[in-house]
Amino acid sequence: MTDSTGITRRDLIYGAAAGLAVSLPGLPRPAGAAEPDLVAITGEPGAAARKAVEALGGMSRFVRKGNRVVLKPNMSFASGPDRASNTHPALVFTVAQMCLEAGAEQVMVVDNPLQSPELCLRRAGVADACKGLKNVYVQMFTDRKFYREVKVPQGKVLDRVEVIKEVLDSDVLICLPQAKSHSNTGVSMGIKGLMGVIWDRWSFHTKYNINQALADLATVLRPKLTVLDATRALTTGGPGGPGEVVKPNLVIAGSDPVAVDSLGVSVAPWYGQQFKGRQVEHLLAASQRGLGKIDVEQLTILRAAA
Amino acid sequence: MRVAIQALSLALFTGLFALANYRLPDWLPADIYLRLDPLLGLGAILAGRTWVDRALWGVVLLAATALAGRFFCSYVCPLGAILDFLDPLLFRRVKRRTLESDRALRNLKYVVLIFFIAAALVGSSLVYLLDPISLLTRTYTFALFPPFVGLVNLLLDVVRPLAEAMRWMDIATLSYAQPVFYMSLITILIFAGIVALGRLAPRFWCRYLCPLGALLSLVSPLGRWRRTVGPECPACGVCQDACPMGAATDEGGTRTAECIQCRTCVAACPQDVIAFPASPQLLSAGETARPDLSRRGFLYSAAGGVGLGFVVRQSPFTPLQNKAQLIRPPGALPEEEFLTTCIRCGECMKSCLTNTLQPSLWEGGLAGLWTPKADLRFAACEQECNVCGKVCPTQAIRSLGVEEKTHAKIGTAVLRKEMCLVWAQDKLCLICDEICPYDAIVFRTLDGYRRPFVVASRCNGCGYCEQRCPVEGESAIVVAPIGQIRLRTGSYVAEAKKLHLDFHANPGDDQFILKTEGLKVGPERPESGSNALSPAAPPAARQPKGFVP
Repeated sequence: MTDSTGITRRDLIYGAAAGLAVSLPGLPRPAGAAEPDLVAITGEPGAAARKAVEALGGMSRFVRKGNRVVLKPNMSFASGPDRASNTHPALVFTVAQMCLEAGAEQVMVVDNPLQSPELCLRRAGVADACKGLKNVYVQMFTDRKFYREVKVPQGKVLDRVEVIKEVLDSDVLICLPQAKSHSNTGVSMGIKGLMGVIWDRWSFHTKYNINQALADLATVLRPKLTVLDATRALTTGGPGGPGEVVKPNLVIAGSDPVAVDSLGVSVAPWYGQQFKGRQVEHLLAASQRGLGKIDVEQLTILRAAA
Repeated sequence: MRVAIQALSLALFTGLFALANYRLPDWLPADIYLRLDPLLGLGAILAGRTWVDRALWGVVLLAATALAGRFFCSYVCPLGAILDFLDPLLFRRVKRRTLESDRALRNLKYVVLIFFIAAALVGSSLVYLLDPISLLTRTYTFALFPPFVGLVNLLLDVVRPLAEAMRWMDIATLSYAQPVFYMSLITILIFAGIVALGRLAPRFWCRYLCPLGALLSLVSPLGRWRRTVGPECPACGVCQDACPMGAATDEGGTRTAECIQCRTCVAACPQDVIAFPASPQLLSAGETARPDLSRRGFLYSAAGGVGLGFVVRQSPFTPLQNKAQLIRPPGALPEEEFLTTCIRCGECMKSCLTNTLQPSLWEGGLAGLWTPKADLRFAACEQECNVCGKVCPTQAIRSLGVEEKTHAKIGTAVLRKEMCLVWAQDKLCLICDEICPYDAIVFRTLDGYRRPFVVASRCNGCGYCEQRCPVEGESAIVVAPIGQIRLRTGSYVAEAKKLHLDFHANPGDDQFILKTEGLKVGPERPESGSNALSPAAPPAARQPKGFVP
């Protein structure tokens, strides 16, 4: 699952870790990476997601022929898209479709729900949306037998964690988070969404410092692509809602999970206040581990409308 | 032909049982077998002194029996079918003694029937104990359904490596939620006992014990198609041995009340003198229709029923019933009516989406045996599901739309501060707040600390907080029956409005997370040796949780 493409960039950030907030301008970009670091596309969830991935160089940059892909949207609450606690089904559908177009052999859409899996599947709308796609499976994993323990060698608080086998065994992980507030971690986006593929999420709440544990988790689960659904944002009452829903009408995508989340933080007020990615503790922790860039001002961002 | 219909009926019963889940469409009466059972309806109506609409279906069966005889037992009854099908499997090699004089035994079912009716008249609903349809549904729910799901999962586990290798992902990822119930063992033992009695005589249960059979036999002699034996009958006794009900008498006569029209005797008769013609006149020679229960027997069983009925009711539980301790399903009638109307079929518990509904043993008193209660520490009551009322054959749980059901408050969450991680240990925990679908848990500042509180008027007792509370063992937030709404009739929404309850989430209150100024929190990990009782350190953060400056 550990990803080797784009390692150059990550290695660079690695060097800048340990709280170094300075940017690294002027460093050579990897050859052939003419794509922007981040894209932010305005529009309907499906169309915007397609345009966003295309602007990043197309899905073939992330998914190769014959790959097994795992998509991790938010679909762990039994509520529809208007409540903004789950990723919009149209976005999940589009990305799944693009994976197939890029030659994916299988696309597994997974989550470990917080409410009845059957109800979540039905109400979140993802299962229905993906029904017509061949080799796309929407599956909730609520039995421990579908999980496998992995070590977290770089973990500060977490030394091992049980992860959905399918996620570990797949070639590509793509996160499709919904932008929402979170009563414990401030916001919940791509990095926080990784908690949906582990077995024992309660230990994050009760045993560990959740922000550090999330950064630890992000060292072993490395999405190649994150497509953040900020078409709607649940700015209070998260993660389950109901709460205030605003409509930034944006889909943000990028290969750097920290950067995507960080930009996502800036597009809506959370609990009535404007924040920067750097102010979100778990994102800060993740960036300090060298998992991505948090200061989006120094990144190239392509903004467009779908 | 008969066996085929019987098998079909058993399949239908089983299929409807399987369909009783939260997806059950409104038009499909999954509980139809239970509704058709006139004994269950009668018991509920008598014991509850109330009218039960769905019990009208029982009249259909009674009327059909009066027209066509006791065909129900041999063609329709799923328990009869199971006993018939198991009989050759289990007892083929067994040489059963003929029960020479089984008059007393035959009367036993009438004793049982009178007993239950008498108990119902004094307000104790006990028919469920031995009513075949209730008993079988209950056995399916508690004793057969869980191991069945377990077996299916086991099989799936066995084929999983193959499915993974072949990329049959639908099968590779398939696994069913394992239902679990209290009281599975006792339920299966009772059922096994009924099957085992077949060792003594075929359909021992139907012949001697079944109160529904007894009830039907009171009207079945009116039926048009009755067994007649021709005058050429040499009284060879073959039909007597063949009859699973002991309805054939020595002299070629018929105990018409016992006859279930299975026509086994027709096939067995070497002389071909037995037939089931349409008989216009009431009774012909050689037919015995009345149960020959003596007056004394009648009085004794009635007295027994009244006695047990009183014993069941006259316990401290009865006066305590309006202070009920148990969380009942949403839409359950007021406790006393609930106890008398509930027929313990277990259909609500089978269909329960989250498995929170569990049978009670003694918690609700003897009168509460097998009644459903919500075990909210184990699982919560799902907001979007209203299946328990839909499948309740006597409407002891009223069938409600989702909106009505949401307002059928089953209790109120109570915080036990001495156990709460936040109140007792100053920890940062807000799982109950996070999971609450109604925003009924809010944080307020108290002496400089952020503290969770329950807003009772927003809590409908769904129990998500109790289930998810991370405190080990008992939950630090438990749903008590406080403020439960139990209506016999009328709208729960209207009642909730009247009580100023609001079960619609209010997004406003989370703003409170912002107000952190001066808030204190305990250390995430107290250093060893530190006094847990000493006040926690002043706050480091001046931001909402999860954010840093």
